[in-house]
Amino acid sequence: MKDNQQKDQTWIGLKDISKDPEYIAEVHSEFRDVPISKLLVGHQNESLTTSRRDFLKILGFSVTAASIAACDAPVRRAIPYVHRPEEIVPGVPTYYASTYVDGGDYCSILVKTREGRPIKIEGNSMSPITGQGTSARAQAHVLSLYDLSRFRQPLIDGAKSSWQEVDQLIVSKLNSGSKIGIISRTILSPTFKKILAEFKTKYPNTQIAMYDPFSAAAQLAANEKSYGIRAIPNYHFDQAEVIVSFNADFLGTWISPVEYSADYIKNRKVDPKNPKMSWHVQIENNMSLTGSNADNRILVKPSEQDAAIAYLCNALGGTPLGSTSVNPEAAKALDRVATKLKAAGSKSLIVSASNNMAAQLMVNQMNDILGNLGTTLDMNTPSYQKQGDERSLKKLISDMEAGSMDAVFVLDGNPAFDNPWAGAFKTAAEKVGLMVSLATASDETAELSQVVAPKHHLLESWGDAEPKKGFLSLIQPTISPLFDTRQAETSLLKWSGAAPEIFEDDQPYYNYLKQNWLQAGLDWDTSVHDGIAQGSIPSAEVFSTKALPDLSTQSSTPLNADLELQFYESINIGSGQHANNPWLQEMPDPVMRTVWGNYLSVPVTWSGGMDYDSFNDLKDGDFAELTLGENNKTVTVMNQFGQMPGTVGIALGYGRRSVGAAGINIGTNLYDMMTEGQDGLFQYFVADVKLSGKVGKEKDIPAVQYHHSMGVTDIDPKTGKKVNVDEITAPSIKKGYQGSLVDRSIIRRANLEDVETFIEELHEERAKFEKLNSKTLYPYEEYKENYYEQGHHWGLAIDLNACIGCGACTVSCMAENNVPVVGKREVERHHEMAWLRIDRYFYGDVNNPNTVYQPLMCQHCDNAPCENVCPVAATNHSSEGLNQMTYNRCIGTRYCANNCPYKVRRFNWLDYTTADLFPINQPKLNGEIFGNDDLTRMVLNPDVTVRSRGVIEKCSFCVQRIQDGKLTAKKEGRALKDGEIKSACQTACPTGAIVFGDFNNEESELVKNIHNGLTYQVLEEINVRPSVNYSAKIINRDHKLDA
Amino acid sequence: MSLNYIQRISLCIISFLFAFLLDLQAQDTAAGKNLFKANCAACHNKDMKSNMTGPALGGVEERWAEYPKEDLYAWIRNSQKQISEGHPMATQLWDEWGEKGGQMTSFPALKDDDIANMLAYIQQEFTKVPEAVETVTSTGGQSKQKSNFIYYLLLGVLAIVALVLSRVISGLNYIQDVKELGPNAKQRTLWDALTNKGFVALLLVGLMTFLGYQVVNRAMNLGRQQGYAPTQPIKFSHKVHAGDQQIDCKYCHDGARRSKHSVIPAANTCMNCHTAVTSGTTTGTAEISKIYASVGFDPVAGKYIEDYENMEEDKIEEIYKAWIGAKYMEDNDLASLDAKGERIVREQWRGIKNSLTNKQKTKIQGGIEWIRVHNLPDHVYFNHAQHVTVGKLECQTCHGPVQEMEVLEQSAPLSMGWCINCHRQTEVKGFADNKYYAESYIKMHEEMVNGTRKSVTVEEIGGTECQKCHY
Repeated sequence: MKDNQQKDQTWIGLKDISKDPEYIAEVHSEFRDVPISKLLVGHQNESLTTSRRDFLKILGFSVTAASIAACDAPVRRAIPYVHRPEEIVPGVPTYYASTYVDGGDYCSILVKTREGRPIKIEGNSMSPITGQGTSARAQAHVLSLYDLSRFRQPLIDGAKSSWQEVDQLIVSKLNSGSKIGIISRTILSPTFKKILAEFKTKYPNTQIAMYDPFSAAAQLAANEKSYGIRAIPNYHFDQAEVIVSFNADFLGTWISPVEYSADYIKNRKVDPKNPKMSWHVQIENNMSLTGSNADNRILVKPSEQDAAIAYLCNALGGTPLGSTSVNPEAAKALDRVATKLKAAGSKSLIVSASNNMAAQLMVNQMNDILGNLGTTLDMNTPSYQKQGDERSLKKLISDMEAGSMDAVFVLDGNPAFDNPWAGAFKTAAEKVGLMVSLATASDETAELSQVVAPKHHLLESWGDAEPKKGFLSLIQPTISPLFDTRQAETSLLKWSGAAPEIFEDDQPYYNYLKQNWLQAGLDWDTSVHDGIAQGSIPSAEVFSTKALPDLSTQSSTPLNADLELQFYESINIGSGQHANNPWLQEMPDPVMRTVWGNYLSVPVTWSGGMDYDSFNDLKDGDFAELTLGENNKTVTVMNQFGQMPGTVGIALGYGRRSVGAAGINIGTNLYDMMTEGQDGLFQYFVADVKLSGKVGKEKDIPAVQYHHSMGVTDIDPKTGKKVNVDEITAPSIKKGYQGSLVDRSIIRRANLEDVETFIEELHEERAKFEKLNSKTLYPYEEYKENYYEQGHHWGLAIDLNACIGCGACTVSCMAENNVPVVGKREVERHHEMAWLRIDRYFYGDVNNPNTVYQPLMCQHCDNAPCENVCPVAATNHSSEGLNQMTYNRCIGTRYCANNCPYKVRRFNWLDYTTADLFPINQPKLNGEIFGNDDLTRMVLNPDVTVRSRGVIEKCSFCVQRIQDGKLTAKKEGRALKDGEIKSACQTACPTGAIVFGDFNNEESELVKNIHNGLTYQVLEEINVRPSVNYSAKIINRDHKLDA
Repeated sequence: MSLNYIQRISLCIISFLFAFLLDLQAQDTAAGKNLFKANCAACHNKDMKSNMTGPALGGVEERWAEYPKEDLYAWIRNSQKQISEGHPMATQLWDEWGEKGGQMTSFPALKDDDIANMLAYIQQEFTKVPEAVETVTSTGGQSKQKSNFIYYLLLGVLAIVALVLSRVISGLNYIQDVKELGPNAKQRTLWDALTNKGFVALLLVGLMTFLGYQVVNRAMNLGRQQGYAPTQPIKFSHKVHAGDQQIDCKYCHDGARRSKHSVIPAANTCMNCHTAVTSGTTTGTAEISKIYASVGFDPVAGKYIEDYENMEEDKIEEIYKAWIGAKYMEDNDLASLDAKGERIVREQWRGIKNSLTNKQKTKIQGGIEWIRVHNLPDHVYFNHAQHVTVGKLECQTCHGPVQEMEVLEQSAPLSMGWCINCHRQTEVKGFADNKYYAESYIKMHEEMVNGTRKSVTVEEIGGTECQKCHY
């Protein structure tokens, strides 16, 4: 029984697997039918209370307003250019190759501009590093260009000022003897470093502190010791057959996730004829994105991490540098890992996110023992994506504290927030002669700076980057600066007293950069065009750790604490720098599936039957007190499967206080609970925290996995067996046809060793469905012959094995299709608007489950249930197989959404984009009006209608891209090529999990994909004939590890 | 009884009058329409209800009712004269409209009859119920009016017959009642009949239907602007450029070939020719100088002015006044400006300033703010390249005889019905040659090749599906 209970089911969360009666009732009723009165209780939103008088007032007002508005057509003006730039044709997008750089986060990108404004970011397929892929953060970066909280001009003591005044003030306060501190996160730009070196020449007492909120300082030090180079190795996840990751979230946040996921997935896509894939084991305590994609997870407490590394090192015949004592289950599993590693030899890879040098030295030792250097990692082309050492920041803070600093410049980063010493930094800053912040938008550091000298947004700047040795990347502006800001480089040149004539040009840094590239023998025009180049640029070593004390070579011993707390970097907002980006705030955390905040993940354990115990009986959305020594915080908890008992986890970067409207007070700031290790390096866990029981309940718990459920598996109460709705007539169940009594084919999965039998069973079952579905009243064959087989028939193939759940596609979809952001409260009411959601399902062992991510968008059913129920034919089918949604026809009955089995239709409950026309309608986001201003609206895609209140919307298969692709082919008088039209989700995906194409093109990648044997359709049994095909999830779980 | 009789007669008369009322003025409105189109339509909206450059003309006679008819006629012939004479109504209109509309053109040649006809036409248009679909011009109009008349006549006759019959029945009933009930019987009067519940309900239903029909029709026409011909900041004549000079539309509107927008040409496109052509055929320097002032071209020196962006307005004024004056002297062989010349210089400069500046744009320099004539709602996606490059349509198919338009007007209704209709009827050009169609629509292409099919319409390849235009 235990085995059955644990292995044969797929579930989405605790409410589902424990059959929480409230939740089951909610699923049965299909649509949450919350009485208005319940919604009103405790919410201050008066707009929801409507008396009869109000109703009449509103009625009268709207009739009058409508008639006034209709009286006179407004005069619309069209203002052409005076001199039209050669590269701009109004109505035709122009793409520029550029680079997304955020500290060490790197992605080569193409920026789509329309009429001179950037509206979308896409991957640059020419890049050998990140290729076509992007991350959610890179996708969302275009919105931060139009951020209302950006600085519009330089400030002195918080008052508006001018660049002239700022320059005068700064230069007057500096002399060649001044003690100056410069703070920055990792700097990838070789030219910027050169400028910093010049600054240092002018002011020799300059101390540069470089740190990364999510640090790799120990790894850098270890690599310097092991390989002689202070850099990150160049990892080749595609070459590895066995991947062992110690808490390194390399698919989500660790160093270069876009690059690593593309490589990783090359060895994970399964060819049914030759079933083979890599084996990936993740050793961690809270379920990270990478851990959720791993075949096996070994649970160790955060304080045991180093010991686990030592244990494995010992098992592989290396010299452990410290204690090897780990919990017995982990020890057994690690023995098995060692066996597998030895077998794989040089085709294996071990990585670790530990910030202790000893641990990293052992990782290097193991990789060396296995012979991986040169196969799965190399130091010939090392990565520079992490360079910082937080001890340099600490030293600077203590110098500031001592009052010996004349000036401190914060070039990048937010030291007053994003590290455990933020408090100390704030007090120390008061003793500095001159604090200067170069932030683009308001943050905690700028708040305490006398001078704010705002730099351009990335999309307005020139720049370069060298993420890996020999691989260069250019940043070019795609819009003129929106505000009175200045390149950081230009500011530094100015302050370091560069020759005045260089400032006579509008873009001094452009000339400087170009000169620097030309001197390195690079072809400027080609580089600007491609966005990338190979070669090297003379730079300067501006940051060094030589002055800092040596790190310890002994790893720490495991602590015997009752509860340990793991801190991690969220995929969405990083160390807090993206907190004001509503697209990222509203993108669900892939694993926890929550939005707008950080939630403490608490473990859940199975106690037999339908019973599950959660830590301290805390349930989703409960408030609990988290205590560390004197430090006490109230956090919201979420139950998390796969969280190791005795541990809890939470993301850093939330809870910002000085930030734009979207990010303020979202979540809880936990940086001050972070500690430093014995060497003064950041440690991302604390032992001996205390967690109280429930002390309250959060009003809005936006856990989107429970929204838009497609039905869950259940057991017939009469027979005690699992039932399929096709075998039992609906009335006899009396629970509703689309309720939970359906064993629906949503997720299909198998273990690698069972692939052959799985395929057989899959084919049998699909044949059964086909037989069932052929008995139809609809003349489907006729439609097929006359319509679908003529012209185009669009479809998608989604490989569940390639989908890692990173969420880049969901942000890309929002950007491409003008999907509005609705805010936390609306999400809690199931009103999120995202057209594309990534459902996360757990399966297998309840205590240590596997995970599958399923991107779900409109399935464009050829037998669409939504179309039949629309009273006004606002949704209907095109001859190209598209389920068309016509907004201007929709009257908002929402019948279609009710009837959609996939629950992918979204209703505009409010006017999210143009409500400023009628301010009473304005939806609030975090108490502030959002998205209803001309600056934010600059990000809208002009080819896609902005939907108004009261209409349904849903994925259109990016019909604007389809039409554009067809038109290009027609204009050129040629056949449409496969791959010419790509949906927005497809272009964003770093792993190529999504393929768009034409079923009628036999040669297309789509058709090849759907013939791979693993293909299935979601809910195929209900005969809606979806156009989206999924390829089953195959994992390579080693059951010997479980035993 | 006698009262009933009178009621009956008056009702007949009223119903007849009602039927005829609309047709009474038919004889002179046709001429009025032509005159209106020729003289007034450029500035006054032809629906007579909404303002354009000039005010809506509907109900103009009522507004002038307190003055003698001659005053209105004089106003139409020469408004400026009446303003200068200080006529109260004229001054009031000038105060209200002078600034946005400018001077109204004088029409001294109009006879009293002409004006009467026009006013009749205006009144007719103002009071007329809009027809569901208005066909192009008046060829079918007359017979339509005739048949309408017959309908009204029939309706009237039927109404009378119904009334007479009902009275007869009522009388017979009365006789019956007298027989049965004796003197207590009461005849139902016409008043009883008209105030009875059934009749009132019927009347209400009729009224609701009529109003509903009106509302729907009018609502459908909201935002449609067929015939919209606003006054542009520059009196650009398509007739001169596309008609007389035979310039290809796509030379200036170069976006039409490759973009969704046809693109209003940038001022530097104008300068391709107007560096050489410095004086217009009908407007002389008045309009072309506006382009120069927009881009900063000094026609005297024959080159662009440096740092024009930051130039002071009086400096700009100096340059262009000098140029207009010089050109005037050159054209009239004068050595110095005479009084007329000075006035022209002043007026043209004022023209430049008024055309290139407004509340938002206070600088002369920069883009010319044209008024968009063809406006589609935001939920419609239209692509010029698809129609011009792929569909090989002539611009005139949708835009009308632009080459004859002195002032550009929206010739088509740009309604969805109009679009769909064309998509239903139009054959896909180059279906057989364009490889895109050949390789995408294999079945139809084969039928074309082996002769079983003559043509493929836009509709047949999905051209009337919602998401071809709405997404």
